[in-house]
Amino acid sequence: MNATELCFLTAGQLSRLISGKEVSPVEVAEAHLARVSALEPALNSFITVTGEAAMAAARQAERDIMAGRYLGPLHGVPFALKDIYYVAGVRNTSGSRIFDQFVPTYDSTVATRFKKAGGILLGKLNLHQFAYGPTGENPDYGDMHNPWDTDCIAGGSSGGSGAATAASQCTLSMGTDTGGSIRIPAGLCGIVGLKPTYGRLSRHGITTLSWSMDHAGPMVRCVEDAALVMNALSGYDTHDPTSATAPVPDFTKALTGDIRGLRVGVPREFFEVPLDPQVEEAVRTAIELLEALGASVTEVSWPMFHQATAISSVILMSEATAYHRDLLRSRSAELAPSVRLRLEAGLFFSAADYVKAQQARTLFNRQSLELLRQVDVLAGPTLPVAACKLGSAEIQVGNTRQGVIPTLTQFSRPFNVNGFPAITVPCGFSSPGLPIGLQLASRPFDEETVLRAAHAYEQATPWHQRRPIGSVII
Amino acid sequence: MAKERRLSKETFLRIAELAGLDTKTPHMEELYPFVQNVLQGIAPLDELDLTQVEPAMVFIPGQEQ
Repeated sequence: MNATELCFLTAGQLSRLISGKEVSPVEVAEAHLARVSALEPALNSFITVTGEAAMAAARQAERDIMAGRYLGPLHGVPFALKDIYYVAGVRNTSGSRIFDQFVPTYDSTVATRFKKAGGILLGKLNLHQFAYGPTGENPDYGDMHNPWDTDCIAGGSSGGSGAATAASQCTLSMGTDTGGSIRIPAGLCGIVGLKPTYGRLSRHGITTLSWSMDHAGPMVRCVEDAALVMNALSGYDTHDPTSATAPVPDFTKALTGDIRGLRVGVPREFFEVPLDPQVEEAVRTAIELLEALGASVTEVSWPMFHQATAISSVILMSEATAYHRDLLRSRSAELAPSVRLRLEAGLFFSAADYVKAQQARTLFNRQSLELLRQVDVLAGPTLPVAACKLGSAEIQVGNTRQGVIPTLTQFSRPFNVNGFPAITVPCGFSSPGLPIGLQLASRPFDEETVLRAAHAYEQATPWHQRRPIGSVII
Repeated sequence: MAKERRLSKETFLRIAELAGLDTKTPHMEELYPFVQNVLQGIAPLDELDLTQVEPAMVFIPGQEQ
């Protein structure tokens, strides 16, 4: 197997080769680091590459595995972290030159658990500054580029995670999601992105954007890998006061391929907003396939979907401004212009506005729960469009032109407001060859159902096997 | 229909000043329409009947934070 073929393998596939001693973590790490180096000029996915540490960890993994000390499916598997996950001794920029030299002295819980599982950290991934934007454009460390068309956005804020995983620079990566920042780049880059239930994965040691809406989650090339990551990372964390004590199942056991009898609800409101016709067609076809696989599909109504953006905006912007208040006071000129505007705008909400939004959140969550008593899964587009060109201020959506931020986030934000698990899987391509995503969401702490539904769909389709190979990607 | 949320330029500058922003810079000309747009975007919240609805912020005495 050559180096490129090694990089194209999923974590599940790699784990079977590594545990069977057919492939060494050393050659896997070497192949990935070479690919990182080769593709960085085109993609700009990484801020920091930890090459020496990665090779040292790979050699240790090889010794351990040969000695019979195999830790599990992530042992020897190369991964990368969005550059807001603290790793002790490795700089953490949060996408801003203000923190270019900041080196944390402790690991995030996610990093700790990856190390315990034997993963090989390749480096820290580029992002929209402070995780505060959906395009993956960053004036400090450069824009991230979509591997399917490098003139297009990778999405954000976890743009580096999306691009690096899609281009096989790493086997898997971690992003964070406050208004869609895992699912947007995953959808635009043609990979799987899971935003778990709020509290399912620890937020300890992750730079905050919005305390009550931040989620950590995997960005991977297949649903099985999402399940493997969830197995390694889930579980109560005493360091995170919002960490859930919900029992952690073996998520891989959900991947039965069987969705007979699954009740899929399609909110009519998802299709009452402007949608690119190719996105609508791909998503409707995907939903028809779920039905062909044995699910029952019904149209449902989610009236408060139309208030989700407003609820999310007040809460997210108020919390983000509160968190970054000191930076605003002393270093606003050094912020990315779009981030500075949003942080300053958060100063114009009153305390009464914030409480009102939290009251609306209670109503929204009640309506969400009621909906997910009627059905098991909600299905719809991850985004209304495929990736737009870098530098776009507006996007063409069907017959309308819309602002970039509200367009990219409108289907993802509701699941940050209610904290329910939501996953995106590729469901087709636009005519220029850009990925389209299908979003599936379920009840709190029912990641098993979204994983089961997503996996069944994935295994019945070819999308996850396509690679962004072209003139700049090899 | 949500009522419009509008800030006069004078009110905007006053709030900006109270919030510690430098209101003498040209940046205010960019921020003002941005804030107007944001406030207009949250107007749908005014449509909701929130009588007797508890905010989704839980405080449990004695719980370690």
